[in-house]
Amino acid sequence: MITSLAQLSVDWSSWSLPWSRFYLQGTACSILVAVTCGVLGCFVVLRRMALIGDALSHAILPGVVITYMVTGDTQPVPLLIGAMIAGLLASVLINLVSRHSRTKEDSSIGIVFTAMFAAGILLTGSLPRGTHFDLKCFLFGDALQVGTADLVTMAVISAIVLTLITALYHRLKLVSFDPLVAAAMGVSVGAMHYLLMGMLSATVVAGLKSTGVVLVVAMVITPASAAYQLTNRFAVMLWLSALFGAVSAAVGMSVAFVFNASTGPAMVLVATAIFAASMLLSPGHGVVFNRLRRWRLARHVRNEDVLKALYSLGPQPAATHLSALAAHLKMQPARIGRTLARLRREDLVTAVNATEIALTPAGTRHAEEMVRAHRLWETYLADHAGLPPDQVHDEAERLEHAHDLNERLDEVLGRPETDPHGSTIPR
Amino acid sequence: MATDAPPIAAHDLTVAYDARPVLRSASFTLERGHMLSVVGPNGAGKSTLLKSMLGLITPDYGSVSFFGQPIDAVRHRIAYVPQTEAVDWDFPITVAEVVLMGRTTSRRGPLGWLKRPGPEDRRHAADALERVGMTNFAHRHIRQLSGGQQRRVFLARALCQGAELLLLDEPFAGVDAKTEATLFALIDQMSSEGKTVLIVNHDLQILDQFDQVMMLNQRVIAYGPPAQVVTDENLRATYGGRLSLLDEADEKLRERRTERDHLARTTQR
Repeated sequence: MITSLAQLSVDWSSWSLPWSRFYLQGTACSILVAVTCGVLGCFVVLRRMALIGDALSHAILPGVVITYMVTGDTQPVPLLIGAMIAGLLASVLINLVSRHSRTKEDSSIGIVFTAMFAAGILLTGSLPRGTHFDLKCFLFGDALQVGTADLVTMAVISAIVLTLITALYHRLKLVSFDPLVAAAMGVSVGAMHYLLMGMLSATVVAGLKSTGVVLVVAMVITPASAAYQLTNRFAVMLWLSALFGAVSAAVGMSVAFVFNASTGPAMVLVATAIFAASMLLSPGHGVVFNRLRRWRLARHVRNEDVLKALYSLGPQPAATHLSALAAHLKMQPARIGRTLARLRREDLVTAVNATEIALTPAGTRHAEEMVRAHRLWETYLADHAGLPPDQVHDEAERLEHAHDLNERLDEVLGRPETDPHGSTIPR
Repeated sequence: MATDAPPIAAHDLTVAYDARPVLRSASFTLERGHMLSVVGPNGAGKSTLLKSMLGLITPDYGSVSFFGQPIDAVRHRIAYVPQTEAVDWDFPITVAEVVLMGRTTSRRGPLGWLKRPGPEDRRHAADALERVGMTNFAHRHIRQLSGGQQRRVFLARALCQGAELLLLDEPFAGVDAKTEATLFALIDQMSSEGKTVLIVNHDLQILDQFDQVMMLNQRVIAYGPPAQVVTDENLRATYGGRLSLLDEADEKLRERRTERDHLARTTQR
């Protein structure tokens, strides 16, 4: 066991220089990319533009290659300008295609970005022999190749994007939530859209060395989607998304560095893990808590059903109580036994002696409260909701578990004496 | 001059989608403090009328002035509440935030668009919520409200804008009669405070409570006080189907692919 662990391909010597310059620069740049993408991603996710994010990252290739052909060099700033022009061109083309043909927007996006990406690849092939243009790095990224110039460019872009979003926060929120009203109020919806697109292109281009074109869209939508699971506040979503992005970048870089793996995929998988966790564990929208809530409600309803059955049947002989209750409730005896055990723990049911199962005084009160709820709801449904009296029973059977509302219900109804079937409502 | 100009003066407003006219030569004037109900069957161009007036759709022909001025000069005096079916109810936003959005363009002066909502804006928003009786729900997410409460929140946002002219697109769609009465009372109160209100509405029962009624089915069939306008004849003309000769003429013109301006204007000359 121990030997097999040691044989794992961990390059422990890398721990001796964990703070190498490449690692540090790569991590810093990736965190900046991830935070900026995370914040922009919230807008992309809420405006349902995930496909556009993917399209932009691919469509910038011809811009980058043409700039490289013209300048003959890989300085980040000219490449960035070329890429941004290509990115904006792509969003304008997408708009034109979907407006002037029958093609819907999603197909237009597909047509435009694949065309531009294809043109970019052909252009790469036509570069003169011996020139160094690393298509693989462009496609898949390699954060360890990040140079000081790249880091500085990314820092400047992050600062500009985050400042713009802070300054225009309220407008961007309005435009994203309610574009029609925003336009009616005189906010330029189109300008805001292209501003977001421009910021997204710049961030994606500057961050290409971290994740590459193919995976960068994950850094845009995955942390934002994880944050979306967890909050009902827009500002909180922006902060959480930025935080998730930063954690994905930092952890992903460390994992990649230790295991000598690719940096981009590592970051993306960490972000995906965060998303999966938020999908399962979100207190408000998560799978686990939703199940738990439903299970607790079902258990509560079973408790009360058994309680009420015992109330209406009266004390039951121990020998036959399970079968009597099972017949009354149409429930499995084993389940009734477990429910009775819970009720006993809450002191609502006692085994009076070895021969009889009955309600305690507290249990009787609880059951009476439910009978009251049931008859009050029947009255309410018949008088206020206009249901015929012979149809109110089933609905009241469900609503009686909301007996916390009894007092208010009684007051609204004017404290009636009897329910629609003529039974006395207990007080 | 602008002080006595009517809140809305629409002239010959015509809109065509894909060379298919949906609104033909709509002309009307709405006086200050009046309440107007626009009624008509589905697809009669009611929402299109509002959107084209606000410049959200470019009309193919015709013009509108608000308070005697073009729309862009007076947007801050107009509040628009579109149909709620387009709202993304999963958007992470609370009731208070929605209402405060009404103040987004209220900050005038140089670089006003960089300023953040201040105490005065928050006071306006709180007042608006109070007016519609939603103060206790300020921190709820919009998904957690009933249909009637959602309408009230969007009404509060319009109030919060401090506008003099309200354009409401089907504020009563999909709510029960009691909620409709509550909403109507709120709107009526705004009107009695001097605001001008235009409501796209489906409920013919309440037409007598308006100052003006417009019957619309692609074109303005009748416009005036309800006592004159709400007649069997007008209702039949509005709800009894389109004028088929006009549709046929449009079809012919579409085939010929004439110029857009021509196409759109095939009526009332």
